[in-house]
Amino acid sequence: MARRGLRTPVPDVAALSSFLVSAVGLAVPLALAALGETVSQRAGVINIGLEGSVIWGALGGALGSLAGGGYAGLLAGALAGGAAALVFAVFAVRLNTDQIITGTAVTIGSLGFTGALYQSRFGVTGVALELETLPAWELPLLSRIPVVGPALFDQALTAYLVYVMVPLLAWLLFRTRWGLALRAVGESPEAAHAAGVPVVRTRMLAAVFAGLMAGLAGAHLSLVHTGTFAENMSAGKGFIAIAVVVLGRWRPAGVLAAALFFGGAEALQFALQAFDADLPYPLFLALPYVLSLAALAGWFGRSRAPEGLALPWPRRGH
Amino acid sequence: MIRYLRCLPIVPLMFSAGCGGDSTAVDGPAVALLTSGPVSDAGWHAGAYEGLQMIGDSLGVHISHQQTRTPADFDEAFISYAESGYGLIFGHGFEYQDAASRAGEAYPDVTFVVSSGSRPSANVVPIIFGLHEASYLAGMAAGAITASGIVGMVGGVEIPSAKGTFIAFEAGVKAMREDATVLETFIGSWDDVSAAKEAAAAQLRQGADALIHNVDAASFGFFQAVREAREGGRMAWAFGMNRDQNDVAPDVIAGSAVINIPQIFVQTARAWQDGTLEGPLYTGLATGAVDFVPNPAQPGAVPPMVLVRIEEARRLIIEEKIDVPSIDFVEPAAGDPVAAGDPPTC
Repeated sequence: MARRGLRTPVPDVAALSSFLVSAVGLAVPLALAALGETVSQRAGVINIGLEGSVIWGALGGALGSLAGGGYAGLLAGALAGGAAALVFAVFAVRLNTDQIITGTAVTIGSLGFTGALYQSRFGVTGVALELETLPAWELPLLSRIPVVGPALFDQALTAYLVYVMVPLLAWLLFRTRWGLALRAVGESPEAAHAAGVPVVRTRMLAAVFAGLMAGLAGAHLSLVHTGTFAENMSAGKGFIAIAVVVLGRWRPAGVLAAALFFGGAEALQFALQAFDADLPYPLFLALPYVLSLAALAGWFGRSRAPEGLALPWPRRGH
Repeated sequence: MIRYLRCLPIVPLMFSAGCGGDSTAVDGPAVALLTSGPVSDAGWHAGAYEGLQMIGDSLGVHISHQQTRTPADFDEAFISYAESGYGLIFGHGFEYQDAASRAGEAYPDVTFVVSSGSRPSANVVPIIFGLHEASYLAGMAAGAITASGIVGMVGGVEIPSAKGTFIAFEAGVKAMREDATVLETFIGSWDDVSAAKEAAAAQLRQGADALIHNVDAASFGFFQAVREAREGGRMAWAFGMNRDQNDVAPDVIAGSAVINIPQIFVQTARAWQDGTLEGPLYTGLATGAVDFVPNPAQPGAVPPMVLVRIEEARRLIIEEKIDVPSIDFVEPAAGDPVAAGDPPTC
């Protein structure tokens, strides 16, 4: 067989399939955190402290798993992320401090606290923890679908949580009275208040929900994806999740698509670099953000943040 | 939307405010260390932290460590330590050079040491570790033990000191196996564990079976990728970098390209106390500051015959009979003012 000339253009199915596996693996934590943040932003709360919830989730997951196994770790991660968000919500929602500044403070504090906790437990110079990773559940039939099957349906519990959450949240947000009330709180808290919706309570719950989801995202990082923990391992994923919400235009299905796109872009640039394609890698890393800006500018059709986003809601005479 | 985006530029400022320095004045000789990442990385930063502890123990001086987060922090931290009476301040990484040069001009009585720095002046001393020489030896080991003939390198950010170790590693690989393919990936971060894991996994899928890294805490994910490849039935080896990492992942590491940072830091601090410290400071195999250390837990990983050839290459490098390629990033010493608008590095 002649082997001269260019590489065969026929895509290598095995390579494509394993590329998709890593794309989905990278997308799941973004999707989890961004789905939670979608609910929070729909209620008018932008939680920049999401990054803090992710790192708490990663450490909570690691400690929980060492104490009681993988699923205990997942639960501990979610609760740790939720607790960080509760701190944020108490200040930003109940006490009406500036959401951006409060969220940033929570993130900085979380990175510092988790680092101190990790160092006090495992030594100042660190150890490479070997955590037991959560097993993948291979769904019968679905996982046999060529190419995409293994990537989508041979995953750990966290991925299936994403698949369940997307339609569930879409239904809750857009098909129920509860969702209508939540969106009203985000669009016009005054009107919602006048209609008898408890604005503060709704916002608190939405913010804590975002923290729980971000905590799951962090637990995914330590218990599903890497099986270890390192300081700062959230590496900006909480911030990226906020960009994912924008690119997904505040809709669960859009957010899932945007998360897959970010995950795919990251996996693609690793694949390209490993293929020895001489590309300037920072350019590739920047691509998803450029697209998020384009989405913000409204180039992909109508897209609008909730009207009351990041605005304090003054509780008068109470 | 725009409303809150406007607030985003304050975020970096808040990060710097978040980790304020030790600004209480100290009595007597005092030595400080700045790292741009957590010292719990069991690697580059951990080595520096151990060095600082050793300086405190063996010289009996007051010590302090601070982790900086952004380039804006670098100046702030240097100034705060210099103002508080610290006479010797280590900035552990190439990224500290510009801030150290500025601080060096403002505080002529204080000595600033920049690990992998590039611009020496009267009181700014770059240390060039010469890690590329050890990385070359690690490359020889990788070139000898790869079955597929494909070798991988996973780096953080493409800074000259990191890139230099990869160039040398590649040369070492090719010295043992001329037809080897060497893959190179930079992940754009030093701590992103999952990115390092995916980057290594992508190289493993490409057929690489001997991989080295030059990242910090992200190395935990790098080792994990090699471990998972093995669980999937493929034989692969990892190499540690910067610090003796053989005990960090003893099951998958064949050996480490090591800098003995504590030893170099203590020698530097001694020279500073004696008033004999001058830069740039070159260390390497010849001074015993760097070396390739096979993993004692995996005695067969690098075959004895290969170790003999590595030993021979070590001797030839010390005798300057092998010229290990690298990147020479040290600029000639001069009183030239620091160029304004230098790109921030971190």
